[in-house]
Amino acid sequence: MATGPLRFRTPHIEELPIAQSRQSAGFAWVAVSTAQDDPAKNWGTTNRKRARASLGGQTEQQKEALSARVQRETERKIKELNSDNSRDVVIDIARKPGQSTGGAFKAGKTTGTKKILASGKTFAHYLDDEEAEIARTGRRDGDADVPAAAQRASKTPLARRKPRADSSASHSPAPSVAPMAPPPIPRLQTTDSSAAPIPLDGFEDDDEEEDDKDRVPRMPTAAEMEALLNAPPLTYNQARSAPPPAGMPPPRLFCETCGYWGRVRCMKCGAMTCSVVCKDEHDQSRCLKMYA
Amino acid sequence: MARQKSLSTTAISPNDLASRTLILDNGAHTIKAGFSSHLSSTPISTTACHVIPNCIARSTRDRRTYIGPELTTCADFGDLAYRRPVEKGYVVNWEGEKAIWERGFLANAANAANNDESGLGCDPAETNLILTEAPNAPISLQRNADEMVFEEFNFGAYYRTIAPALNAYAPSPFPSTTASPAGIPLECMLLIDAGHSHTTITPLYHGRPLHPAIRRLEIGGKTLTNRLKDLISRTFDVHREDHLVEEIKEDVCYVSPSFTRDLERTWKGGRYDGREVDSSVVVDYVLPDYEHIKRGFYRPHDTDVMNLRNRALGIGTETGRREHVVTLGNERFTVPELLFTPSDIGMRQAGLCGTVLQSLDALPEGLRQAYLANVVVVGGTSLLPGFVERLESELRAAVDEATVIRVARAESPVKNVWMGGARLAADEAALRAVMITRQEWAENGEGWVRRRFVGKKGR
Repeated sequence: MATGPLRFRTPHIEELPIAQSRQSAGFAWVAVSTAQDDPAKNWGTTNRKRARASLGGQTEQQKEALSARVQRETERKIKELNSDNSRDVVIDIARKPGQSTGGAFKAGKTTGTKKILASGKTFAHYLDDEEAEIARTGRRDGDADVPAAAQRASKTPLARRKPRADSSASHSPAPSVAPMAPPPIPRLQTTDSSAAPIPLDGFEDDDEEEDDKDRVPRMPTAAEMEALLNAPPLTYNQARSAPPPAGMPPPRLFCETCGYWGRVRCMKCGAMTCSVVCKDEHDQSRCLKMYA
Repeated sequence: MARQKSLSTTAISPNDLASRTLILDNGAHTIKAGFSSHLSSTPISTTACHVIPNCIARSTRDRRTYIGPELTTCADFGDLAYRRPVEKGYVVNWEGEKAIWERGFLANAANAANNDESGLGCDPAETNLILTEAPNAPISLQRNADEMVFEEFNFGAYYRTIAPALNAYAPSPFPSTTASPAGIPLECMLLIDAGHSHTTITPLYHGRPLHPAIRRLEIGGKTLTNRLKDLISRTFDVHREDHLVEEIKEDVCYVSPSFTRDLERTWKGGRYDGREVDSSVVVDYVLPDYEHIKRGFYRPHDTDVMNLRNRALGIGTETGRREHVVTLGNERFTVPELLFTPSDIGMRQAGLCGTVLQSLDALPEGLRQAYLANVVVVGGTSLLPGFVERLESELRAAVDEATVIRVARAESPVKNVWMGGARLAADEAALRAVMITRQEWAENGEGWVRRRFVGKKGR
């Protein structure tokens, strides 16, 4: 039960229900401290570690909030690392001197190329378009037809997906095309007639057939090799490397100032430093100064 | 109307194939371009391959814009802003790419003077083209590339392939493999292409890629350069100096065989636990100022702090120039460590060794040994010292003891793809089998052409 007037800030007060008091229509002081609390405001007055560990653990929601924020930060940093132009650079391509045909030449020779030359799409646009296309219709390219409803464009790298039990990629693609006609057949006439729909991620099934427990694994037959060779290429997201298996050690943290192992975390901003010397340096110049 | 010829043949009639082939390894960092001819019998050497920076750079100091090969004429690389038409390995910005190609090697009346020096001028209608791109390209980008090559540049015949596939035609870097004549690909090869935008792992079988097993690790030379920029900027802000940091990375970074041990050696110690920094690892890099010092260089670390100040003022240096020095310690090996442990920056992908294993897992069990015994490493980032040894030791630790592992770097990692393309182009039969002429493209449409490029021989 709550005690008298509180003399200091104690955001974490929880009344533990004792057996006898369960019937009493009571109330309990439960402080919900969200992860969005500004850590700088109450550093030193709370013992966040102890609170996290002992108060029945954080709620799922709090854990989620914390990790989502951290994750977003790291993803932003990684995207920045992988970006080409460190700032938004606008460089005009100078006209070549002595250009005889002027504007028409620069714009491109046919309507198609004009469009391509003038388009300002970035790679992210193309990738999104492709994923949308795959989600909308079965597969790109008219290669193979998959019932569109079954597939959702997935960003899970291929290595991470659970293997599917469907047919493998050994059926030759585009079975719908009559031998004489030129290729791009509208998709409509092929959805039901295709012999074996090739799912987006059924590629691994080839090896499952050969997975004998022999001491010396046998070489695949020519037919199996042909099947492997003829398998359609993966999409951009499927070919990405998968996260390491969960058994691996957690990611290593380094000191922000000097680069050695990070051993102590700054209370205000959460950055790691290795030693007192580096921590002093961090506090003076790199810690989020607005809290100073 | 049905045209029998174009459907059933895999060869093109003789008069459709031009005599020279331009091989363009269109990379995100540089273009490797050169000619090869299936009519001449001179052996191909890498001197025929020209490396052209694939970027458009604007220098605020000169207020000039350098497009492609003009970058070599630039005197002051400071504060150079880059724009690259190739993003993540695929040509996205064709406007920029067209400008660079025109400056580089397409014959143009205004550029005739430039082209004569490099010997790369060509008339597209009289030339075949072999163009490379990264694997797993979005379809619309492939379509755009095909359209641009045929409609805009008007090449006569063309073959677009993924860059790793051409390496199978290059000479094998393993000393024990017998040399094969031009045009015959090596049988089995697991290719690791450590490039500018990313690192790709491609198993090849007789020169054809096994698509379900291609994996991509999104750490490349660009990531390493940007990471190095961040680390150096802790002491000296270099965020705007792309070119300089690239040079520093190429000069000074190496892959350490044992990360923890090297990290211990470069620690300066805690407050009560001061340590002597190991001078064999820590170096001082002298920054170029493009007036007296044209190119940076490094020397072992000078622990005397007074010297640092003196040098900056120009006292005690040779010719009295002012030297500004950046000390690089654990950045030297922490940055390339990202390739092997991407989780250091929080990236949720397996390291290089893990990605190789993922790729092998997608192959039948029986092929694992074959591919592990033929690992070839190409790409600019593989020039880092210690890369191959570290990869080999990690693979060794992860794989069964009985398996043989051979890892080798190609003799010229940057030009190897070009070499493969050149050797492919030197062999008439192989060339005929893969080229698509404009006529075929016009008749059969871009979908068919795209499938042919991927390797589907049948319908």
